[in-house]
Amino acid sequence: MNANSIPAGRAGPGDGIPTPPPKIRHRGDARLYRAITIALLAIAVMAPVGLIIYQSFLDGPFFSPRSTLGLSAYGYVLTDPMFWEALWTTTVFAFGMVAIAVPLGGLLAFLLTRTDIRLKRTLEILVLVPMFISSIVLAFGYTVSVGPSGFVSMWMRSVLGFVPWNLYSLPGIILIAGLSHVPHVYLYVSAAMRNLPSDLEEAARTVGASIWQVSRDVTLPMVLPALIFAAALNLLLGFETFGIPLVLGDPNGILVLTTYIYKLTTLFGVPTYQLMAVVAVVLILITLPLVFFQRRLLRNSRRYAALGGKGARATPLKLGARGQAIALSIIGFWLFVSVILPIGGITVRAFVSAWGQGINLWDHLTLANFDRMLSVPSLSRGIVNTLLLSVLGGAAAVFLYLLIGLAGHRNTGHSNTVLDYIVLLPRALPGLVVGLAFFWVFLFVPFLTPLRPTLIALFVAYMIVGLSYGLRLLQGTLIQVAPELEESARTTGATIGRTWRDVVIPIVRPGLAGAWALIMIIFLRDYATGVYLMGAGTEVIGSLMVTLLQTGAMDTIAALAFISIIMTAAGLTLALRLGAKIHD
Amino acid sequence: MTELIVENVQKWLGGLQILKGASLSAERGSIMALLGASGSGKTTLLRCIAGLEQPEIGHIRIGDKVALDSEKRIQLPPEQRNIGLVFQSYALWPHRTVKENVGYGLKLRGVNAAETGKRIQHILDRLGLGHLADRYPSQLSGGQQQRVAICRALVYEPRVLLLDEPLSNLDAKLREEARYWIRKLILDLEICAILVTHDQTEALAAADHILLLENGRIVQDGSPHDIYTNPTSFYAADFLGANNIARGKVLTLNGNEVLLGGDGWQLNGAVRDPAGLAPGADAQAVIRVERVRVLPEPGAGRIEMQLDDSLYLGDRWEYRLRRGDFALKAHGAHSLPAGRVYADIPPEHVWVFPGQAA
Repeated sequence: MNANSIPAGRAGPGDGIPTPPPKIRHRGDARLYRAITIALLAIAVMAPVGLIIYQSFLDGPFFSPRSTLGLSAYGYVLTDPMFWEALWTTTVFAFGMVAIAVPLGGLLAFLLTRTDIRLKRTLEILVLVPMFISSIVLAFGYTVSVGPSGFVSMWMRSVLGFVPWNLYSLPGIILIAGLSHVPHVYLYVSAAMRNLPSDLEEAARTVGASIWQVSRDVTLPMVLPALIFAAALNLLLGFETFGIPLVLGDPNGILVLTTYIYKLTTLFGVPTYQLMAVVAVVLILITLPLVFFQRRLLRNSRRYAALGGKGARATPLKLGARGQAIALSIIGFWLFVSVILPIGGITVRAFVSAWGQGINLWDHLTLANFDRMLSVPSLSRGIVNTLLLSVLGGAAAVFLYLLIGLAGHRNTGHSNTVLDYIVLLPRALPGLVVGLAFFWVFLFVPFLTPLRPTLIALFVAYMIVGLSYGLRLLQGTLIQVAPELEESARTTGATIGRTWRDVVIPIVRPGLAGAWALIMIIFLRDYATGVYLMGAGTEVIGSLMVTLLQTGAMDTIAALAFISIIMTAAGLTLALRLGAKIHD
Repeated sequence: MTELIVENVQKWLGGLQILKGASLSAERGSIMALLGASGSGKTTLLRCIAGLEQPEIGHIRIGDKVALDSEKRIQLPPEQRNIGLVFQSYALWPHRTVKENVGYGLKLRGVNAAETGKRIQHILDRLGLGHLADRYPSQLSGGQQQRVAICRALVYEPRVLLLDEPLSNLDAKLREEARYWIRKLILDLEICAILVTHDQTEALAAADHILLLENGRIVQDGSPHDIYTNPTSFYAADFLGANNIARGKVLTLNGNEVLLGGDGWQLNGAVRDPAGLAPGADAQAVIRVERVRVLPEPGAGRIEMQLDDSLYLGDRWEYRLRRGDFALKAHGAHSLPAGRVYADIPPEHVWVFPGQAA
């Protein structure tokens, strides 16, 4: 009955052997290299996480011989009302941030990709600026411009007699965080919008829809997957955020989970590692599902993108004179609040010695804040270390990411699945936690202890913090090498290693330079990772600012923040020069 | 001298078997074409020979080296097989000049600089590329790129030259020239060459030997003339040439002679594949277009048919004929008026095969 029903000339299920025999191991597929590289990476990622989990189940610091296993740390944290308050605040903060950043980012993406808005080229870069500046610098910038005694607040008081806002409140913090995360939304939504064929919008216009009806009824539903993805990403960033709540929330005792961990450090006078570990575990339990959720979303949105028109023509929607004015003022206002206010505030603050009610800033112009950079050894070391870590460390990190990327490049084995999951893990870890965990690793592992007071400890932690972003950059570059270019090297007689050296790496070299510049910026702006790891001799600018906040040395912080901005600007210029794909 | 022996190569992709036991052997100074529709497994077979795909079962011997032996679990990586492969896209390395592209294989084999330079220049001159040695691939035309790719695969004198649709990215005029000089070059250099193509004209014109593949199996092999004039299966008959297909039932069967009939027509033919052919059974016939003559007047063995239209093709006319559910294409030198005509179809050129199960 079945033999006749199989059409002649076509293989039926009974045709041949039903299941394939085992594969013959192919020598020369760099299996060993791939396995070792991925295993080393797995250790580098899992060790700190494992140590955090282990520490959370102890009743004292892991290095103390009197510590025993138990749940007492969980007991303490879970009955601490401050913890629950911090958890609640974090949740409100994260969702509030999403509620502000997603609509604004979506609107910006629409204006800059689908319309004929003026100054498009310039705006496309300006819009991303807040993403490249460390949030501690941004937060400090808001303090000196619109904080209770900021420049703009002073001016407001002199005009109105009172200040109509309170920066150091939860709504204030959420607003600032939301505005500064607009670029993260813009980045993903604009990428999705660029892939939209514009004939869909033109069709809507020809049947009589206005520009706003088109965006609501056609564009919005099409980019919904990207919007949801951006929302999930920002939710994750919200839970991990540290700098903004530290600077703006602390003065009024507003705590989020990360600042709660930070406060625990100094709470008892003795190290309360087990309590910090418990909060870190709670944080990871929240962020890890978010990371997996994002991964699934990304897969789905790729499916969406594949359905969209390829090589779509983008005919921008005409805004008209009134539309241009409205659109430009929306973007202009956002840029004023998110870029000009904080950066301008820092710039002014860095060059004055005193300010306040009725003080003429011109009388107090000074370079004394920068003189201190040279005279205080920890500050000058901080600048040098930051430069070393970002320029050389960035290059070394790109090299390591390249080695990891090659281990995963056209890897059909199981190790590739392992790599996929390892890379996800650091995304669930806030920089503060990564830094803390590596601090412990360097204390805990005997042969690593001598490295703890060196920059190598910081570099390893930075490398893990930048892992997912850096690897994504490199994988994106590697995948652009056509497979035949590698196969032709193999058939010509090159081993896989030679092929990588002689064909793959030379072809991706421009991409490597761009990746280096971007990783450099990531390392430059980092402030959280070094909080625990840095010590005398290994200071970095970002973490120095965190420490100095406790002492209230505003002059010094302002000067450091200004230097940080200048460095970031230099890095960004370099990245653009090298053709880095900052829009990816 | 036999340079390449492939025996019973089988390859799976997931649960799907895409090569079901392919065997072939190829000689020095000859060209073997792997011909088949897309999905027939011809490129997979070539890539298995190159070591770019890893078959689960089979033996491959290249020169005096065992490249694959599934019993002894030997599977050499591509770089140890001493082959040359010309890719469909040419796959020239964009960051290397023509000279560096061609010289890479020599560099890998540790040939000294003076000798390398000499051999590069020699092969480039031979293919008329001598003046382009310092250009980058992006500065070359498609035809020049293709010749560089061939130089790169030949310069280190591999045992076997594999060509994966080497002509498909050229325009029609260049293609005709290329298949001539590639054949001449291979014969002159006495190389063993395997050519993958889906273009029957290319295979017929360039190869000494053709392997026809269908669904991961070799269904026929032989010389181009043999394959074209003596197909043993419906697939082989239909794949080559320009054909008419007549589907009907066997009316009478007498040894090799068969009478095929359908709605309002009958046709004498010759049995090519007797399996399942019996009076009353479904059958189908393949008739090469060039074997049919269309005449205005009746004659012995001619079938009366209705001419629907004559289409002008430049060098000839194409006639569209019909009788019942039997439609026929034929060529001729003149335009004929629509209406009643007579088709001369020699029975030995009506190749009858078992019908496809409904």
